[in-house]
Amino acid sequence: MHAGDSAVTPVRPLSPDLREPPAVIGAKAHGLAVMMRLALPVPPGFVLGTDACRESLRDGRLPAGFGDALRGLESATGRVLGDAERPLLVSVRSGAAVSMPGMMTTVLDVDRTSVLVDAVRTVFGSWHSPRATTYREIHGIPHDGGTAVIVQAMVSGHRDRHSAAGVAFSRDPRSGAPQPFGEVVFGRSGDAVVSGRAGTLPLAALAERIPGAAEALAAALDRLERHYRDACQVEFTVESGRLWLLQVRPGGYTGRAAVRVAVDLAEEQLIDRDTALDRITPAAVRAARVPRLTGTAVLTRGQGASPGVASGRIAVTADRAAVMAADGPVILVRPHTSPLDMHGLAAAAGVLTVLGGPACHAAVVARSMGRPAVVGAGAVTVDEAAGRIRVGERVLPEGTVITVDGTGGEVVLGHAEATTAEDPHLTRLLEWDRVRRAPPRS
Amino acid sequence: MSVPVLHALRCMGFAEPPRIAGACGAPEAEVESQLIDLAVAGLVTRTPGGFGGWGLTGAGKREDARRVHAEVEAAGARAALTAGYQRFLVLNPELLDLCSAWHLRPGAAGDAGYDARVIGRFADLDRRAAAVCRDLSAALPRFATYRVRLGDALARAQGGEVEHLTDSMTSYHSVWFQWHEDLLCTLGIPR
Repeated sequence: MHAGDSAVTPVRPLSPDLREPPAVIGAKAHGLAVMMRLALPVPPGFVLGTDACRESLRDGRLPAGFGDALRGLESATGRVLGDAERPLLVSVRSGAAVSMPGMMTTVLDVDRTSVLVDAVRTVFGSWHSPRATTYREIHGIPHDGGTAVIVQAMVSGHRDRHSAAGVAFSRDPRSGAPQPFGEVVFGRSGDAVVSGRAGTLPLAALAERIPGAAEALAAALDRLERHYRDACQVEFTVESGRLWLLQVRPGGYTGRAAVRVAVDLAEEQLIDRDTALDRITPAAVRAARVPRLTGTAVLTRGQGASPGVASGRIAVTADRAAVMAADGPVILVRPHTSPLDMHGLAAAAGVLTVLGGPACHAAVVARSMGRPAVVGAGAVTVDEAAGRIRVGERVLPEGTVITVDGTGGEVVLGHAEATTAEDPHLTRLLEWDRVRRAPPRS
Repeated sequence: MSVPVLHALRCMGFAEPPRIAGACGAPEAEVESQLIDLAVAGLVTRTPGGFGGWGLTGAGKREDARRVHAEVEAAGARAALTAGYQRFLVLNPELLDLCSAWHLRPGAAGDAGYDARVIGRFADLDRRAAAVCRDLSAALPRFATYRVRLGDALARAQGGEVEHLTDSMTSYHSVWFQWHEDLLCTLGIPR
């Protein structure tokens, strides 16, 4: 490893005094420093700036102070990389100026210095991965920025029965309602939650099993919301009863939820009405007008992949869907979809799949046909031979009526009520907009 | 480089002769005549109705799997196809990202700059996909049809018929989806 020249931002420990802007240290490290200033618990670590990425991509060098920063982290944790008994384990994560979720590489459980150096170079290099490049093109992000890299002591969500990992929102991201919302897993690492792999529990489970951590989390969400004057999302880990925050993202709410959050924050006087209006894009207004389920008795959940609400009788094969559609609406339920299901998708009023995410083939096809779709409903199993599906303990034969909401990912038994009337929060926001546009009275 | 009708249909699902002919790279009349022969042999069937069309029977799927297996072994192509499939898998999430970016574009009524950027990324992806398709075709020539069909869809989208990116039955995504199915089927990998 070579020491870089002094023109490059040296490696900095994560600390409350880290005040460089996101363009220099990346949005993720910036958020971690904000949380430290708010006295919230963040695992110790250090950050290599975006200019170090540019230099590394040019000539492979790592910036000055890398070795010192690593020794600082070892002394802060009382552990050493490569130690035979209790080695320091670190995570190596990307963090560009503008968040690009899931587009770059993360390396976890790094235990040796040589592996760490390789991991840092790998994460820097992932700035130029084709997916990341495409993401920047689509979102108008410049290609010359580079990503920062954050090296942090690992915290374990699967150490013991008082350990957990998850994501939490200060307000419900489905509706914008002012209650915390989230998902948690026990005995597994946090990336299981972020990647959407099955088996998460609602946040309430944390309050039951590790109440102290749940209280600390609720207080942290409140503090973050007041700081950012916006709803926030965090990734967290609880290790042996102790809460750690790994990431914060303000905003990012869409559609109806974005409208409700903006209106509620203005009513709570955290922001003014102009700010509320400026936060809502025309696309959010359009999305807020898409019907949503109103009930709460959810049979199961997946990820919303194509917006809208559809009710119909369950069909478990594309062929059956095509036949049954002659007698009224059908919901096609499949483990996943292949081209062989296209005629069933065309015949169905809506789609439910067990596997896949919002960008899977099924989602693309459903959106192209304008069919509401829920994908990745991991609790569902499809028994094609017996002509039925199973959801947990429940067995639902073909022909049973269900309703899917392709915005929020909810699946409900029977014909469920959907909103069709104008959302009251949207009505209020549009009224503020009318007042703002009206010419001043003379 | 024409593709056997049975296998083309295996990768498409239900379809009518014009679209099957497009996928086979063969004249429609010839495809129709072959479909009738295959139906007599019990390998394909025609389902009437709005969502129907020609499709494989269970026996047809088994027969196609048998033929494809023999084809791959006879050509000694398994290693090259597997390598090509691994490279396809690197491109597949990017294609799906692009399709989602297209569907979820901010100005549904047209933000020309955004649309041009996304179409530009389709073209860039297509150049890399072409290299994968070329290597697959070197191992098994019938894969060359995907190059032609993907190129056609992209050219039409670039010419203003933007439904050929994600939304028509011969769109870039539809052809790509069949290419994915073909690789799985040819290598005997369950989805």
